[in-house]
Amino acid sequence: MSISIEHIEELKKEFAVVCCRAEAGTIISASNLEDPAIFEELEDSGLLKMPADCLKIEEVLGAKLIKTIDSLTPMTPDMFESINKSDELSEPNEKAVLKYNKKAGDIIKAEDLENPMNFEKLEDSNLIKLNERVLNREEVLGKELIMDAVALTPVTGPMLKGYVEKECNEVKPDKKQSVKSSVLKIKIAEGKGIDIEIPLNIAGSFDNEYECAGEKFNADTIDAFEVNEITTNTTIQEPKKLRSLTKKYYSIKEVKFGEKTKIENGILFIREDICDDAKKGIDLVKDIKIEIITPDKYNTYSETIMDVQPIATKEKEGKIGTGVTRVLDGVVVIVTGTDENGVQIGEFGSSEGILEENIMWNRPGAPDKGEIFIKTQVTIAAGTNMERPGPYAAHKATDYITQEIRDVLKDIDDSSFEKTEEFVQYRRRGKKKIVIVKEIMGQGAMHDNLILPVEPVGVLGGKPNVDLGNVPVMLSPLEVLDGGIHALTCIGPASKECSRHYWREPLVIEAMNDEDVDLCGVLFVGSPQINSEKTYVSERLGMTVEALDVDGAIVTTEGFGNNHIDFASHIEQIGMRGIEVVGMSFCGVQGALVVGNKYMKHMVDNNKSEEGIENEVLSCNTLCKEDAIRALTMIKSALNNDEIKVPEKKWNPSIKESNLNIIEKDSGKIIDRVLNETSIPLSDKRKNKKK
Amino acid sequence: MKYQDKLIEMKGIITQVTDGSVSIDFKGRLGSMIVPMRMIITDYELKPGMEIGMVMSFPEVLSEEIDEKYIKNKKAKLERCE
Repeated sequence: MSISIEHIEELKKEFAVVCCRAEAGTIISASNLEDPAIFEELEDSGLLKMPADCLKIEEVLGAKLIKTIDSLTPMTPDMFESINKSDELSEPNEKAVLKYNKKAGDIIKAEDLENPMNFEKLEDSNLIKLNERVLNREEVLGKELIMDAVALTPVTGPMLKGYVEKECNEVKPDKKQSVKSSVLKIKIAEGKGIDIEIPLNIAGSFDNEYECAGEKFNADTIDAFEVNEITTNTTIQEPKKLRSLTKKYYSIKEVKFGEKTKIENGILFIREDICDDAKKGIDLVKDIKIEIITPDKYNTYSETIMDVQPIATKEKEGKIGTGVTRVLDGVVVIVTGTDENGVQIGEFGSSEGILEENIMWNRPGAPDKGEIFIKTQVTIAAGTNMERPGPYAAHKATDYITQEIRDVLKDIDDSSFEKTEEFVQYRRRGKKKIVIVKEIMGQGAMHDNLILPVEPVGVLGGKPNVDLGNVPVMLSPLEVLDGGIHALTCIGPASKECSRHYWREPLVIEAMNDEDVDLCGVLFVGSPQINSEKTYVSERLGMTVEALDVDGAIVTTEGFGNNHIDFASHIEQIGMRGIEVVGMSFCGVQGALVVGNKYMKHMVDNNKSEEGIENEVLSCNTLCKEDAIRALTMIKSALNNDEIKVPEKKWNPSIKESNLNIIEKDSGKIIDRVLNETSIPLSDKRKNKKK
Repeated sequence: MKYQDKLIEMKGIITQVTDGSVSIDFKGRLGSMIVPMRMIITDYELKPGMEIGMVMSFPEVLSEEIDEKYIKNKKAKLERCE
């Protein structure tokens, strides 16, 4: 596939290979050139062999071919009338700004410098600030850096080895002066009650030594400085408690049908005629049945599981994300459904079958082994299984039943709750500030989610993200963990995030409790259908994240498909603003990313299946605690400028294991690995395969 | 698979668009398929009659074994409906 005009600037130093046959007389343009990203693969498969004199893309652009060449031929000088001489350094008198992250000891080359044509845009968006201290391009070429510098840092004298300040009319800085337009990064690995104050807004430059607030620092110990921002607050503060959420658990040992819905001595009774009322008022719902599945019935047949939901309610009309939530322990609601013709809701090939063969137990979004299921089977009007009101109706009818249970749960005596769990949201100013971006489906029908219903994982009051235009919506971590997301997601059983997943979202829990980072919130963004809408949503996300002033972001998505296009775009929008970003998705073999960009360098794969595929086992490939730990470690490494190795070309599950081993070795803690489909009863299909 | 790198460019027509799915007929009467919305990539709002393109190989039978799970589930479903 040829390369796009937008990317030509980034790729001009790469080798030039024609993507398809080019006739003599052709003037070479981007459309004639193969994407360099696939060269390694082509070389491996023997389809391509790079000659020593292969030309670079910048050398062939606009050049005229004198012979006809076949597809995938590397271009050499003998094929052209004349080639563009590689321009070593254009515009030498423009300011020098680094294009990439550089380390101390690196020699600055022409290609390391940002193209001056972009300066205006970058200055407009406050990404760089050019003043008289910034050196010219020709002055920095070939010079060695004495400190690490991030991309888009304008190069100034003190950053270079052997730089002698030119005689100028600036006054030598006073010793008590600090650094104008610079960041002083101070790393304190351990400490207590440290209070550092640094005066700002005083003109000056680094001398070998300078003094601030009575402390002496040697300039050599300062590991980086960026000219485009000023850190105003280096004081390490105590974590600030924002809000807390208490979940009180009432243990259910048995579920039965009874005359009325009630909870007594650990037994939940469900009104026998509840289904008649549940379907009233919803025209699309033709029938509804409830089955109570106890562990001894795990080997029975079930329609495709649409959703797994906790049964929980707010105490005293509290709001989601704060206060007290009452939860029934040991029982979950499972939504299943078909239309009148027996077609599954959202059917694309069936994944119905024996429950225990199709559920990956104990995943955040799945039932835990031993739990009782209240399984509804909703029949909706024929032909509505693929229309938006269809899946919604099935969820709404089920919620009628859950709501009746919630109402009786509200009346239980407070002393009957055996277990409580407290979640506290802290802001940790002074620590690296991060945001979690969760991309949810928003293509329509079952690709939808209700945001912030009145009751945990309820329906009433929830706004579908499709109706909100899929734009970013910020939730507090506690709102997420308190059932703020009701997922309608229905396909991709192994990778879809059911409502219960958000209720127990491991990344949110891990990031919230991590004392090394300051989690500012969880930003939900929908994935619309059309590319232009995806770009619209993604650009809003970029602006939102920019305004949040975070140091890092973790972007997650569920499953694969066209949502990987916005996933890549979200990472680009965040990365281009100089924010470190880690991406998390199910990829494996089957869900390999369809697009990529240069900011997608820190990626975590959620795959757990043996073969790297969508294996139709509910929640098998969803985000688990071990993935959350990997992502958090990766973002922290990226923020510390530690080296993160480039991934291998092909999917290799052992990378995950070796990363976990490194984390275990480093932290001294053992990380429990979750099981995969090999732990559940072998279906006949897999038995046959093994023979 | 023996023929997986024999890639053929296929063209098709969108015949039906619902809120959750897209139905496609391959040109040349070569078959049809239904895919979920999230599996189709588009710059335009989807409408019946639009042309799609994709690269495919031939469906290739992997072995003579029957997927018993599928047969079992189909039976269970029938029993349930009766």
